This record gives sequence, C-alpha cells and structure tokens, in this order.
Amino acid sequence: MKTVDTRGLTCPAPLIRTRQGLNEAAPGEDVQVLIDNPTSLSNVRRYLSDNRLNFTVSEEGGLSVVTVSRGENSELSANEAEYCTPAAVTAPSGRKVTVVAVTSEKMGSGDDELGTKLMVSFFRTLVMLEPAPDAVVFYNTGVKLATDDSQVLDHIRELAEKGVSIYLCTTCINHFGLKDRLPVGSFSDMYQILNVLKDADHIIRP
Amino acid sequence: MAFDLLTTVETGGCSAKIPPRQLEELLKDFPLPADPRILVDISTHDDAGVFRINEETALVFTTDFFPPVVSDGYEFGLIAATNSISDIYAMGGTPLLALNIMMFPSARIPMEVYRDILRGGSDKAREAGVSIIGGHTIDDYPPKYGLAVIGTVHPEKIITNAGVREGDDLILTKPVGTGVILAGHRLRMVSAMQLDGAVAAMKQLNSAGAMLMQKYGVRGATDITGFGLAGHALKMARASGVTVSIDLRSVPLLDGTYSLADQGCIPGAAFRNLDYTENETRTSATADYSLRMIAHDAQTAGGLLMAVAPERTGDLLKDLHVSGHPEAAVIGRAGKREEATLVLV
Repeated sequence: MKTVDTRGLTCPAPLIRTRQGLNEAAPGEDVQVLIDNPTSLSNVRRYLSDNRLNFTVSEEGGLSVVTVSRGENSELSANEAEYCTPAAVTAPSGRKVTVVAVTSEKMGSGDDELGTKLMVSFFRTLVMLEPAPDAVVFYNTGVKLATDDSQVLDHIRELAEKGVSIYLCTTCINHFGLKDRLPVGSFSDMYQILNVLKDADHIIRP
Repeated sequence: MAFDLLTTVETGGCSAKIPPRQLEELLKDFPLPADPRILVDISTHDDAGVFRINEETALVFTTDFFPPVVSDGYEFGLIAATNSISDIYAMGGTPLLALNIMMFPSARIPMEVYRDILRGGSDKAREAGVSIIGGHTIDDYPPKYGLAVIGTVHPEKIITNAGVREGDDLILTKPVGTGVILAGHRLRMVSAMQLDGAVAAMKQLNSAGAMLMQKYGVRGATDITGFGLAGHALKMARASGVTVSIDLRSVPLLDGTYSLADQGCIPGAAFRNLDYTENETRTSATADYSLRMIAHDAQTAGGLLMAVAPERTGDLLKDLHVSGHPEAAVIGRAGKREEATLVLV
C-alpha cells in the first residue's frame, strides 16, 4: 500500500498528490490518501468517483483517510473515447511502443509535388502496418493532413478506429486557423506531445 | 525585493467567491425594485444592471472586486480593472466613469503596493476611455481591489444573457484556464511563459469584442468570469429559453491548462461550479474529463461568449482574429430547449 500525505496542503495540491500517487502505484496496489480539510476531501471524492475509481473513506479526529484501489486497469482517465486520452502511450507488455511523428504535409524534401504523392502513399501503407503504431503525432504543416479535405483523412480515421491515438499540435492548429476543420484526433499541447515522443521506443518520421 | 501580493492569500484557488448555488438560494426571495426604467436587473443573472435615461441613452452599472491573483501590485491593478470594466462591454455598452474600491492592510503591506495597484487600475481605465473620479478605501486583510463602473448603451442595443436565439453560433473570444494556471503557479508547476500567457489574457480589455458585437447585431452575450464557461453558458441558456451545446474540444485553452488539469491541478472553484451546473447539464459519455473540468474553471477577466446568427459567424470571427483575439473560436451553438439546458460534448 502506498501512502500520500496531503496534511497541511491547500487545494488543489491534495488532488494533484492523489493523482500522482495513483500514477505511481503498481496495478493492483492500493493508495491511501491522508486529507485534513473538508474542501479537499470533497473534491478528491468527486474526482475519484467521476473517474470511476473504487474508494473508501474513514475519519478520525478531523483527519480523513481515503483508500483508493488502483485496480488492474492501467488507464486512469474516465474518458474512454479515442481522443484526448492522457499523454502516456502504453503498449501490451513486451512489445515496443511505436509513434509516427508527422512534421510536414509532404514526405521528404526536394520536390513538393512528389512529396505530396509520397505522403498519400505513406498513409495508405501505414494503415496496413502490423502491428499498428501506438500513436501518430502531427505538428507544423503536418496538421494540415488531418483536415476535412485532406486526401489521407480516411486513412487517419481508419487508424483512429483501430485504436491508434491521434495527437494534433494545438499551437499549429491555431497558427493555420484550422480549428473547425479537424474531424479526428485530440488537440494536444507541447507537454502531451513531448510525453508521447518520450515514451516511444521507435519513432517513424516520414 | 518587491512585496509579493500572493503571500497574502492563503487558500489558492479554493476561496474568494460564495458558491453560486448558495448565492442563488440567498437571493431567491430578495425583492427586486419595480421601476419601469430598469431594463435589466439581476433576475436574468446579467453582468450589470441597465437603467433607461431617455430614448437614446441607458446607463449600465456594475461592480466587481477580488483578492490578489498575481504577485505584482501594478499587474493586479490592471487585471482587476479589466475584469470590472468587462461587465459593461458584456452588455454592449461603452464604459465612462469609475470609482475605486479598495481594501488594504496599511500596517502589513508597504504603501507603495497600494499606489501600484491604483496606478494599474488607473492605466487600464485610461486605456478603456474611463475616468476614475473617486473611490473608497477600508483597512482590511487580505487586500482586495476593483471598480464600480458606469457606462452607456442605446436602450435598443442592450446585449443580455436573455438575447440568445435558437440556431445562433456561440463564439468565445479568449482562451480559458486562468484559474488552473494561477493555481498551478502557486504550486510552481507553471513555466514563466505559461504564466505570462494567462496574465496577458487577464489584462486584455473586451473592448474590441463589444464593438464587434454591435457591428454584427449580437443581442445575447456574457463575459466569462467566476462561474466558468459552463456556468455562464448555463445562465445564458436559461435566461434565453434555449439549450446551449458546447463542443469541449473546440474551446481555446491557455497554454499549459490541459496538462495541469490532467495532473489533478483543478481548483476548488471548478468543483463548486460543477455542483452548480450538473443538475441541468447532460455531459456526453465520451467527453474528456479534464476538458469538462476546465469548462468549469473560474476565470478572472475572461473573454466574451457571444451568440451570433450563423450567416454572420464567419465575418465576425475574422474581425475578432484581426482585433487582438487570434484564438477566438466557435465553441458551440444554441438550439431548441431540451430537457437539459446545457449539453457538453
């Protein structure tokens, strides 16, 4: 059992520590959180139940002890949609994590027309890759490949349907004014993108 | 070393405002004045009251003040004034005059800080074309500052919570996340650049947005402050008799907000606002948890949420993008009233 002591901390630090403790706990390990103020207790309870985590609360002289069972499930977020999953990319144990980083709308440099053709061909082939990559990250002009009129949108959709996480760089989306034209993928900041790249064993850059 | 105003506020994001549900309960049976010249009162939970003087002119009147949100007195003054004046803009008005409202512990904080706060307020007021013609100071700890502001609006061009029409698009002019970023800053989880981003947003006047609302015939709008995007959207939907749907993924966020919220940096006010909205809200099963909480994050001097007829959305958005609001975005729309007043997708 792991213990997280939040006594003396003010909101939202107790929640952050709780979340950290859960992240660090091994699957199946319980986490015990000590909380000494009612607001933080109520917020932590709400957070845990919204995230469908099982927990019990016992109280003793103004101190509350929240015991959370971490469960065997490695996914922490309540969100089960294909988009906006937490930054971490995990692969079934023993397999390497593969991430595709698409940094441009064209493949290679030299001839733009050829680069466009190659990129279409890259995505057509990528959907056939076995096993599928764990995530595809789009940044710089790469985000343009995910717009509603993109030639490769259907392939990106197919990847997303297979469970491949699609991350789109928010700064890039804003820069090109594409916000309303992106039917798939999650909008990600640099922290998320960096975490995805950091967790990768292999990075493919077309 | 300059005095750090943040050392005067102990509880971080949790405090400052009375929970909205409690406030509504308290004011429920409060008698409203029955003067026919009062065109807007608190019954629609609007940002300011409006009083008709004659056929051409109505007065818009509002006040707002709060404890420090940043370390520097001058910056706190700029932000507090921006926030106070914003209510006039949210009603489609032009701000004219203001009074300082200050609570300041003269024995505990150097008096230069007092001057810095007032200087910030006065500089921001000048930028908005507002003359500060007086004020009032009380000795109190922690310090609090804001303005009471008067502006004018044409009686037929008032913009209220109740003016949203079915089919309108909803545009948000500033990115959200100031509560999350400020809480993260206290815990040293925020980079200098991310903090600067939030501070810049908090001291940006909503003047351009107000002008463009009149240009495009907007009649329903509010500014996003303590009740968060979701809380204010709910108040608008209620007052207008529509259901507002927000696409959480299209809400512009301040840099750093998502990752902080995902790490559990969710201020207490967001939970309070969630308590307030949830009985009238349907949240889609696939909605992202962190984005949902960010939509409830209490904002300081947030942007305008404006309802515009869809055929004018494109032009209004373009104008906003070149008027200091490059991140303005359509974040949802208003539809026929359903069982849920607010829908988060």
